[in-house]
Amino acid sequence: MAVWALVQDGFWAGVAAVGFAMLFSVPRRDLPGAFLTGAVGHSARALLLQWGVSLEGATLVGAAVVGVLGNVLAQRLHKPTFVFTVPGVIPMVPGVFAFQTMMGILRVTTAAAGEGSGVLVDAGINAIHTALLLGALALGISIPRLLFRHPRPVV
Amino acid sequence: MTETQTGQPPKPALPYAELRDVIDLSLWAGQMLLQHGARTQRVEETVHHLGTGLGCDWLDILVSPNGIVLTTSSGQEFRTKIRRVKRMGVNMSVAAEINALSRRVTAEALDRHQVRAELARIDQMPLPYNRWLVVGMVGLACAALSRLFGADWAIFGATFGASAAAMWVRQELDRRFFNPFLVTAATAFAAGILASLPTLFSWGAQPQLALAASVLLLVPGAPLITAAQDLLEGHLVTGLARGLAGSLVSLAIALGLLLAMWLMGV
Repeated sequence: MAVWALVQDGFWAGVAAVGFAMLFSVPRRDLPGAFLTGAVGHSARALLLQWGVSLEGATLVGAAVVGVLGNVLAQRLHKPTFVFTVPGVIPMVPGVFAFQTMMGILRVTTAAAGEGSGVLVDAGINAIHTALLLGALALGISIPRLLFRHPRPVV
Repeated sequence: MTETQTGQPPKPALPYAELRDVIDLSLWAGQMLLQHGARTQRVEETVHHLGTGLGCDWLDILVSPNGIVLTTSSGQEFRTKIRRVKRMGVNMSVAAEINALSRRVTAEALDRHQVRAELARIDQMPLPYNRWLVVGMVGLACAALSRLFGADWAIFGATFGASAAAMWVRQELDRRFFNPFLVTAATAFAAGILASLPTLFSWGAQPQLALAASVLLLVPGAPLITAAQDLLEGHLVTGLARGLAGSLVSLAIALGLLLAMWLMGV
């Protein structure tokens, strides 16, 4: 059952990755690669979450999986890595945390007396999750480049 | 640039007129990359690769959030030019083509006329997908995300409808050149009105998931990830600017959604 749940998780994450890849005008023949990175990365994260890893830790590993897989695909198919890695991590983007942060900030203004501080603290917690999760995604997909491709700077 | 620094024999100095072409072409490539959301590091590396491939000794490039400054040097001569860059949507087809072109310049020894023809072709490339296909696929993507949050099929369908309709609204507003934050808020409002119907009529088990998922098409995921990558690679100015732009877009989403929820009473 747990395996079936992971397969479903991967499938829907792959669908989301392909949808956003098309929004980003990723070339048609690279869409299967975007499906694969999105599916494998998100189900890796779901597996770690099942094992009790924190959301940020699991996201870092999931993004690293996307990064490694995206680099392998890019080298095999002679493509730039970003067509696989950026759509691949889109299903893990903390979108709900991001707009809940902003909704919290807006709701501070209309909160009843004495309740504003709770609303503000919730917004702060959401903001911290948003920033750390985005950092984990960027770091994760950059790991192959940081470790294996660091030529002398030319610029 | 001396021989010891490049490890290659010195290149013949380019005539001043040719240097003008090289700076124009390199700037054009850099402009298209930045316009369509490439990382700052990639813009710098690609422009450098292209310019040196076309015969310059060295290029100094400064990428700012809304423009590029470039100096090309060859022998004793140099030229400097600024190009203003207006941000547009992410287009990875264009970015991938320019990336491939910068490799071909050295691999196939393209000259500046061939590069100009190629850049003109890339600049004129139509969007790879029909707009209605994008409407459907973006709706499906948001509905897929609602499944990941644990939504049932009723909410899946509602999210698909709300976000596909919102994507259509966004396309219609975008092509009339409204302010991007206004487009985002209006699109979030449209998504919010439609996605509050499940809550209003108690469809499905967790109707509030439709509200959360249907605005995800607006979340500036790619710019925010690029912002974090820029910061990681030491490009603090472009990273902060992209991060702030992404935060403001998130604020616009929240404004539109809150207004819709208030009007619908959910």
